[in-house]
Amino acid sequence: MKAVRTVLVALLLGWILPALVLPALALVAVPQLTGRVVDQTGTLSSGDIAQLTQTLADLERRKGSQIAVLIVPTTDGEAIEPFSLRVAEAWKIGRKKVDDGALLVVAKNDRRLRIEVGYGLEGALTDVTTKRIIDEVITPKFKSGDFAGGISDGVNKMIGLINGEKLPEPEPPHWDGQGMFGHLDALNPFLIFIVFIVSGGLRAALGRGLGALASGGFVTALAWFLWGDLSASLALGFFVGIIVLFVNFVSSGSGGWSSGGSSSSSDWSSSSSSSSDSGSFSGGGGSFGGGGASGSW
Amino acid sequence: MRRLLTILATLSCLSLTNCGYNAIQTNDEQVKASWSEVVNQYQRRADLVPNLVNSVKGFAQQEKDVLLGVTNARAKVGSIQATPEVLNDPAAFQKFTQAQGELSSALSRLLVVTENYPQLKSDALFKDLMAQLEGTENRITVSRNRYIKAVQEYNVGIRTFPNNLTAMVFGYKDKPNFSVDNEKEISVAPKVDFNPTPAPSK
Repeated sequence: MKAVRTVLVALLLGWILPALVLPALALVAVPQLTGRVVDQTGTLSSGDIAQLTQTLADLERRKGSQIAVLIVPTTDGEAIEPFSLRVAEAWKIGRKKVDDGALLVVAKNDRRLRIEVGYGLEGALTDVTTKRIIDEVITPKFKSGDFAGGISDGVNKMIGLINGEKLPEPEPPHWDGQGMFGHLDALNPFLIFIVFIVSGGLRAALGRGLGALASGGFVTALAWFLWGDLSASLALGFFVGIIVLFVNFVSSGSGGWSSGGSSSSSDWSSSSSSSSDSGSFSGGGGSFGGGGASGSW
Repeated sequence: MRRLLTILATLSCLSLTNCGYNAIQTNDEQVKASWSEVVNQYQRRADLVPNLVNSVKGFAQQEKDVLLGVTNARAKVGSIQATPEVLNDPAAFQKFTQAQGELSSALSRLLVVTENYPQLKSDALFKDLMAQLEGTENRITVSRNRYIKAVQEYNVGIRTFPNNLTAMVFGYKDKPNFSVDNEKEISVAPKVDFNPTPAPSK
């Protein structure tokens, strides 16, 4: 029994001790992306944060590019370059494939800062220009203790450079841009109800097979009218046509559709999708290659 | 009966996961792509060197040895072709990483020397070149890390069962990984000398 106890204690120590030691070796965790400006040190006032957030949101609305600001107390021994890259890769600032994101990271107690630039912005925010922004615009203000001013001036300089760069147009707020089946419209019960009525009528008029074909055609036309994407509309129309065909041949008689259609009309909600600004901020899937510059004050 | 079972086993393996053949192909391409990125960034650094040498020459032309060292190291790097085939030949890979390591050493010697020339350090062109060099070094580090991850995934895929059988059949070998240059040298503690060498008189 004593041997068993010893083994158990050894096992427990084997589990507990690494847990005590490992946190000392762990890297600083990537902070949560709670907004465009994440300040873990309480340096910026809420007014500063609101103003900065507004500026950055305007940039995204106008140009599509995303800039985020992060202030941490320390990177705990890790150099600021790999830390910034980790944060940038986790937050994925910037649009997917365009990679037009930039991240300003300030490690306040370490007195180091870095501007991490995504692949797509490396033409506008080159290593030289970001180094100049850090040395000539931001650090002089930081040295005199004006963190809010330094950050907002630096961000404005970055925005000025991004403005001059030719980037793909941002998508207008109405289209969510998440792909066809992410649309609220597609799942809108009102539209489904309409499709049911129309397919019922077409079946009565044309018979079961042709009715399904015509329903598919109707859905294709409707989807094309709503979204303008012909290949996606054809795919959706084909899909719906198959379903209607199945329903036509399986259901008995012409009254089959009514019970299915009527229940869905009660919970019709507004269909237009909200623009990305009113909700929470999230990265667009951009990637980073290590470009940018670091500095200290 | 046994023949039937063997045939069934082979068929199921082939149909379900292609015995890992597709996974090996995907990982192989990922390794090649990461390697191209590494070579790309090293090339970017090599392209900066001539400008750097010229700007230092403007202020410190008496530092002939160091400048010559950098120029020669760059020439050596330029003479090595780093195609994806390098990954299949450990000797060629070694040659490539060694040449790049020599350029790194030559550059750091040059930067140490520039500490003695405050006029050079405040020159605008030199500052720009330093910003570009730091950015490029960071990009090199990032691309090396991504290459290391890609090679790890590939090698693990090659060596774990059952895909290692497929790898053996088709002749896929481990891909080389970056090692620390001069491992022996850096395991010796550096000598710290607080008597700086006097700056050469102008």
